[in-house]
Amino acid sequence: MLQTDAYVMLSMVLFVLGAMGVMLRRNAILVFMSVELMLNAANLALVAFARQWGNSDGHLFVFFVITVAAAEVAVGLALIVAIFRTRRNINIDELNQLQG
Amino acid sequence: MATEVWLFILVGAIAVVAAVMLLLSQNAVHAALFLIINMGCIAFLFLLLNAAFLAMVQLAVYAGAIMVLFLFVIMLLGAERPGGRSPYGWLAPGAVVLALIFLVTVALALSQGGISDLQAPPAHPQLRVANLAADAGPLELRLNGSSVGDNLPQGSVRDYEALPPGDYELELRALDDRTLLSGSLVLEAGQRYTALIHGTGAPALSLLPDLAEAGSLRVFNGWGEAVFLVDFASELSDEDTIVLLGDVAPGALSDPLAVADDADFSNQALVNELDEVLARPGAGMIFNAGDGESALLVLSPLRRFEGTLEATVDLLVTPSQASFGGPADIGLKLFNQYLLPMQIVALLLLVAMVGAIVLTHRPKVAPELERARLGRRRVSRPLTSAIASQLGQGGSGQDSDPAALPPAGTQER
Repeated sequence: MLQTDAYVMLSMVLFVLGAMGVMLRRNAILVFMSVELMLNAANLALVAFARQWGNSDGHLFVFFVITVAAAEVAVGLALIVAIFRTRRNINIDELNQLQG
Repeated sequence: MATEVWLFILVGAIAVVAAVMLLLSQNAVHAALFLIINMGCIAFLFLLLNAAFLAMVQLAVYAGAIMVLFLFVIMLLGAERPGGRSPYGWLAPGAVVLALIFLVTVALALSQGGISDLQAPPAHPQLRVANLAADAGPLELRLNGSSVGDNLPQGSVRDYEALPPGDYELELRALDDRTLLSGSLVLEAGQRYTALIHGTGAPALSLLPDLAEAGSLRVFNGWGEAVFLVDFASELSDEDTIVLLGDVAPGALSDPLAVADDADFSNQALVNELDEVLARPGAGMIFNAGDGESALLVLSPLRRFEGTLEATVDLLVTPSQASFGGPADIGLKLFNQYLLPMQIVALLLLVAMVGAIVLTHRPKVAPELERARLGRRRVSRPLTSAIASQLGQGGSGQDSDPAALPPAGTQER
């Protein structure tokens, strides 16, 4: 059986790549996809720990994370469509009307 | 190295490369396709981690539904082009440095912490109580003073209940709080037990460890004489009786008998040494060896109204333990322990659906207003271009402008 360490390390690498995507990309849809990548990395760690402890509660949490991600994508993409319709642009650096 | 290690390295490398390409690709459609590859790899890793159900959900919901939604929106908006230069040029090297520091910290913590050396505690033993005593009436079984089977009527079997492993003081009480029996028992971790209350007069309690092997059938004899499980057809005919399980002494448990997948008990009977049929299991008593069930056939006396004793048969089926990470395991937990969170998440999905509709919904403009707005446009555009051409500036570029606009009404400003 492969060590849990290896899975957690892989999940951390994917998580960091996703976080860099959120920070560095300008396109709102790409930022969104990077958030999905981070959620996936967290899911991988949860499943690895579930196997380590022989307890499938971690699987249940992954199930809920996937469900919440689906809801989040539905609302987020609707927001992006609405913003694109009014501004013809989804560059997140230019969407700063809410700045104080 | 084992196959699992090679598979992990290969699939993990593909996942990381896909994530890096997601970070670097200039075209949003390419980024979405790389994310699909990444999610496929993660589904494969779920399979390596014994999470078969989640691997399928990951493929169907994430790589399927959610990514289709992403691709659909990218192509609908025509947003595949890059977002342009960031005004924050210093962010990229800063992010890389922070990421490396974070990864080194995590690697140090993992190498020092020794997560993989931790061991899961063994599963708790499970106990079910069956009251098959002839004369005792409703009973209560207490272990270390706390009740495990309360108001247990004659002939009933409780579901399995998880208890901490260890030694227990047992006490069997009648409904009027008389103590009928007391003693002690030991429950070992990872085992499943049936506490069988049987006997005429003062009840006795036998603690039977349940077998995990699928399709094994055992006979417990709660009757006063030795019994045999025989083939009923051979019992009726002149030929020799086919004995399936022989000579089970009173109060004893037989060896396990392997039962075929679709076996039922309609042609079997329990007989005593004199070949008198004591009882026949009914045709409705079936257990499914193919689903991993095993069973215990209990012969016990039942007191009739006239005071005579009659042998009855009960079949106690031991269901299979749901396999780790399988749909049955997830489903059982979802509908028992996690029912409320599931309801809340379902509500959240409903709200998200309504929210998406509300966000993308375009309010309907009254028809006369819309017509007035379109009429104004139709008049004003040629007028402005005529004025512009008379003023002698920007002839061709502005002339083509109205034609380039989509048909009236499709574009909202």
